[in-house]
Amino acid sequence: MYDKYPKGQNRSRHWKHLKQILQAENYQNYPPDEPNYVNIGSPPSMHPCKRICDITGFEAPYFDPRTNLRYANADVFKLIRSLPNEYVQRYLALRNAAVVLK
Amino acid sequence: MPFITQTQRQSDYNLFPSTTPIVIDNGASYFRIGWAGENDPRLIFRNIVQRPRHKATGETVTIVGDHDPALLKYFDCTRSGPRSAFDSNVVYQFEIMEYILDFGFDRMGADGSQVDHPVLITECVCNPVQSRSKMAELLFETYGVPSVAFGVDAAFSYKYNQQLGVCDKDGLAICPGFSTTHVIPFVDGEPVYQGCCRTSVGGYHVTDYLKQLLSLKYPHHMTRMTWEKVEDLKMEHCYIAPDYASEARLFQKGTKEAEDKTRCWQLPWIPQPVEEPPSEDEIARKAAIKEKQGQRLREMAEAKRSSRINELENELHGLEFLLQQLENVEQNDIPSFLSKTGYVSKQEIESAHVKVTQSLRKAKGEPKAEQVDIEEKMDASTTEKYPLINIPDNMLSPEQLKEKKRQLFLKTTSEGRQRAKQKRFEEELERERQNQQDEEKRLENPELYLEQLRARHRELSEKVEQRKRLKTNGGNTNGNNNFSGGVGRGERLNAAQKERMRLLTTAAFDRGKGEDTFGARDEDWQLYKLMSKDNDDDDEGPDMDEAELARISSRLQDIDPTFVSRPEVGPFQPVVEIPKFRRLTQEDYQVVFGVERFRCPEILFHPNLVGIDQVGLDEMAGVSMKRLPSKGQDVEERLTSSILITGGSSLFPGMSERLEAGIRMIRPCGTPIRVVRASDPVLDAWHGAAAYAAALRFPEQTFSKMDYYEKGEDWLRRYQLRYTL
Repeated sequence: MYDKYPKGQNRSRHWKHLKQILQAENYQNYPPDEPNYVNIGSPPSMHPCKRICDITGFEAPYFDPRTNLRYANADVFKLIRSLPNEYVQRYLALRNAAVVLK
Repeated sequence: MPFITQTQRQSDYNLFPSTTPIVIDNGASYFRIGWAGENDPRLIFRNIVQRPRHKATGETVTIVGDHDPALLKYFDCTRSGPRSAFDSNVVYQFEIMEYILDFGFDRMGADGSQVDHPVLITECVCNPVQSRSKMAELLFETYGVPSVAFGVDAAFSYKYNQQLGVCDKDGLAICPGFSTTHVIPFVDGEPVYQGCCRTSVGGYHVTDYLKQLLSLKYPHHMTRMTWEKVEDLKMEHCYIAPDYASEARLFQKGTKEAEDKTRCWQLPWIPQPVEEPPSEDEIARKAAIKEKQGQRLREMAEAKRSSRINELENELHGLEFLLQQLENVEQNDIPSFLSKTGYVSKQEIESAHVKVTQSLRKAKGEPKAEQVDIEEKMDASTTEKYPLINIPDNMLSPEQLKEKKRQLFLKTTSEGRQRAKQKRFEEELERERQNQQDEEKRLENPELYLEQLRARHRELSEKVEQRKRLKTNGGNTNGNNNFSGGVGRGERLNAAQKERMRLLTTAAFDRGKGEDTFGARDEDWQLYKLMSKDNDDDDEGPDMDEAELARISSRLQDIDPTFVSRPEVGPFQPVVEIPKFRRLTQEDYQVVFGVERFRCPEILFHPNLVGIDQVGLDEMAGVSMKRLPSKGQDVEERLTSSILITGGSSLFPGMSERLEAGIRMIRPCGTPIRVVRASDPVLDAWHGAAAYAAALRFPEQTFSKMDYYEKGEDWLRRYQLRYTL
């Protein structure tokens, strides 16, 4: 393996992640109408957000303020209130709405 | 897609002249490599690498592609998960890329140190220059490739289908891939990258969503749901509903159609051997054995009892004899006579005599009434037994005082014992009375009684559960707030928690003297004892409720044939608990999914469902057309009349219809919309690339090592392939 790292490093080098690569590209130096990796990304959606129940997948007009989960009817609500916190966070993480402590 | 991919070493490498290009479709999901001009790639394998250590030798081995699980048991895979060279469709880990290319070229048959063929490799749309240059460097330096060309896989697929006549010169290519989805407009046969649009949802996200949903629904089967298995399930069972809301309503109502659409995955399960109810002979035999054992025990008890009775009688005789002798002996000789026998005074002998008679009576099993009489007689003589109690203190000597204290103590304890016995007796009477009342009520109106009992049971169980939940949840806040056990806004503290908070704040309160002197004195640490949660006084209420709940459950179990002592699961089975108290049946090992079948691919059209704030497939077409630099009504019409869907994630049934409906919603009324699927969505990119590389004018599009070093990075940035040759 040593011939792969001739400069004396004995562990694999750290490769730049996509975010770092994009930052190093300096796309702002180039004309903005030229397509590059960043400006072909999609914009946020114009349509209203579809609200479905986090647990069953049916349409969910209701929202539980304590756990921040959406639910479809009273039975689901009973279930939500009896879920341990771990499951609540996992359901929220599906929607990218979980609380992340940094 | 089968996981056993073709990876035999090809033997005809040397038969190809060195002008034949090698075509590589470097996708985030699969890596396809083959020769230009052929119909199919020679090798297809998953674009991942694993580096486990061998258990015996300890050396690290590199495994490329998907593996045969049977072989992996020789390796320790705990620290080596599968790793991919991609970070959302851009290659960034070139070490892993090197392993993969090593493997690919080796299986193609290359044996020399250099690969002497030009290479056409695919990349993503608008690949960052860094990634592109590192890839070129890897190919030139490490493999000695003479010339390289980069192309976009979706474009190759479109051109190939254009050649086949599936789509026109102008059109839209929609490519849902593994980690991203692209929409590229084509004008005059060339892709227009200014109009390109990319969303970060792909097949990987669909599989991940399905995996999370199933694990949350069936937590005890979580280990069986590996990523590969879920991908299999997704490919077999998922479909795209033409309208999500109406499908969901079908399932919510529980109609027959919904039943048909629900699929059920049966996990392997071995039924426990059923114990047959023992036959009559068995029962009789067992009863006989029990009888015999009982008989034997009874005989032993009898024998013991009679021997004890004999002993006691002998003792009794001995004592009586002693007493008689004592009466015969003269007054002076009593002490010496007594010392021989071992008793100190006549009273002792008499008390011993009384005790032995009592024991004898007990052993013979005479009715207790006599016992009670004796006790009562003893009670009547308490005042004589405790003679000193009634004499006031100042008339007694110190020794007598001590004696008096002892007698007082004895008296109170015996009185206490009597009172307790009385209370127990009364409680027994009370319970008997209540049972009798219950029985009467039951006999007169069985139905009503049963109903009342059931209702009471339900109430009580809910109350008890709620209180239990409050205890565990209220103590460590339920909700999204701190995990450290703090309390969020809007949470009310109960009395114990309030007390704890108060103690903590007073202890931590900085009195402004500068130094914190908590803990300098020993008494400070008593704070923690006060705060301890174990010292919480439970209120009396729950205990009573729980006791009554237990009583009612046992009554119900006796008289109600349909009673199950656990709350039942709802009709839509949100979270299934494994019932621990009854035998596991076949249903427990089934994974049922109905709504998930169409809920998961829905995220391609609505990335909001997984929290990604971007447009879905149908809107992306609109965005792409809006971004086109050359506007004109015809262009858009021509684009929409030839829409090609390609890419691995386009294989969901129902996608074309849904896409057509979606695009119709955003285009003016009456525009021609035609949506076609590529002839082979998965392999078409490679086919297109191979056809392109086999064209005569292909070498003009490549660049060589010299070019790469002379012209520099800027030139590489502007390098684009021309797709019509």
